[in-house]
Amino acid sequence: MINSVRNTVLAVINKNNYGYISPSDFNLFAKQAQLDLFDEYFVNYNQQINEENARVSGTGYADIKKGYEEVIDSFSVTANLAQNAANVYTLPADYYIINKVLCSSGGLFKGEAERVSQSKITLLSSSLLTAPSVIYPAYTLENNLITVLPTSFNGATDISSQYIRYPLDPKWTFSTISGGAPIFDQSQADYQDFELPIDDANDLVSKILQYAGISIREGDVYKFGQVEEQMQNQQQ
Amino acid sequence: MAYIDQKKYYTNDAVAPTDLNWGSYQYVSLTDIVNNFLLMFDGNHSLVNNEERYKILFHAKRGIQELNYDAFKEIKSLQLTVYSDLRFVLPSDYVNWVRISLFKNNTIRPLLENIQVQSALSYVQTATASFTYDAEDNVNRQTSTLDSSRQDGSLNSIYLNQANLDQNNNTPYNEDFYDTFIGARYGLNTETANMNPTFTIDKKAGVINFDSTMANEQCILEYISDGMEGGDNSLITLNKLFEEYIYAYIKYSVLNNKFGVQEYIINRAKKDKTALLRNAKIRLSNIHPGRLLMNMRGEDKWLK
Repeated sequence: MINSVRNTVLAVINKNNYGYISPSDFNLFAKQAQLDLFDEYFVNYNQQINEENARVSGTGYADIKKGYEEVIDSFSVTANLAQNAANVYTLPADYYIINKVLCSSGGLFKGEAERVSQSKITLLSSSLLTAPSVIYPAYTLENNLITVLPTSFNGATDISSQYIRYPLDPKWTFSTISGGAPIFDQSQADYQDFELPIDDANDLVSKILQYAGISIREGDVYKFGQVEEQMQNQQQ
Repeated sequence: MAYIDQKKYYTNDAVAPTDLNWGSYQYVSLTDIVNNFLLMFDGNHSLVNNEERYKILFHAKRGIQELNYDAFKEIKSLQLTVYSDLRFVLPSDYVNWVRISLFKNNTIRPLLENIQVQSALSYVQTATASFTYDAEDNVNRQTSTLDSSRQDGSLNSIYLNQANLDQNNNTPYNEDFYDTFIGARYGLNTETANMNPTFTIDKKAGVINFDSTMANEQCILEYISDGMEGGDNSLITLNKLFEEYIYAYIKYSVLNNKFGVQEYIINRAKKDKTALLRNAKIRLSNIHPGRLLMNMRGEDKWLK
């Protein structure tokens, strides 16, 4: 998908000889555009839920929320967390949202830890009825570390997490240059396609055009990208 | 969580305690309650949404506690010997008592609660009525004469009116023999008369105080707890007859404490909760023909 997106972007900005963006610039804009759209998925997902609650959303093929869920779930990862100290574990470097923290002991799953804010954890821990327990553990977040309670969860493989990771940085790669233009080569080791679904190609083009328009100081290109994006949003 | 097979139910797969699962099918665990609630009653399209799990857990436990107080009829019993200190320390999970009995000669004798004070603090006083203090400026205490007289048996009781005997248990020389027993063998206050020991519960001190006739006797305390099983969440259970009620209770408690919930929604949740509690209590009361018949058999009994 990345090559077709790049071709489309170049086709638009080459019109009237507006300019040219290098592969490295394209990769930067592509990364930024993908992150923008990735963020929007969560906002749109929430909006769809609100529409469902307002009973203005359908089921079956009209279930837009389901589509959003599928895309978000495609970034889901479940992995053990590295132990930093006794009951302190390091979050993965590529996490966007921690969805679940799963606690095990002796290889047996015990319970899902609940995230508790720093302002509540002291009160929670001192409550007889709700203090974190093996069945109902809790964790707090500080920097990229989580502290799991009760402290009996302190094994190297006791804590795993299901989280949504950031999409990998897209990279349009080439190996040869022909007629002054690089030739796309997806066999390169650092090649990385967009991870968003194909139907996001139009949005990616619009977003990249906006960044490219600013880069080459062409307001028309920027406005074109912006209008395209607004139209697509309205259709959704 | 899967249902256990019959072998595990009857034998716990030979793991001690082998009777662990007996009767377990009557109950639903706290874990199931919280899981089911979060799964079925909490979410984007539900009345309850975006609530922390610990709040659900709190309300679930509070609901179970409330049910234990009056609806469950799950009465625990503890038998202990009362020694010469005439005290029975309340069990660690004690919330309220149902009945206290003396077990003697293979007979259970329910005891009466003594409405009089049975135990008191006492401060050391000087001849000028002032108090003395220890190194930390706390007033010095001593065993009260009320306590000592109760323990040595010299405390008079309204529950078995004592005959007016001398210290050798003989009729005083200047008393008529029959007058000695007025108010004891004759003219008893039938409201309080009882030959068994009596007791008073000192809730703050966490003990049951008995009169001296209870020394070295067996006492059976029937009491209720709050079902929290010493804080072990994995042991907390709820009778299945109350399962629907506990969901309604949690839902009501959450909605009732949430800002901006319409009053009619709260009222609906409240009615649900109340109706389900009533249903569950009727179910648990187990009114069936066998029991009715048993009660009706007693109606022909002649009163003498």
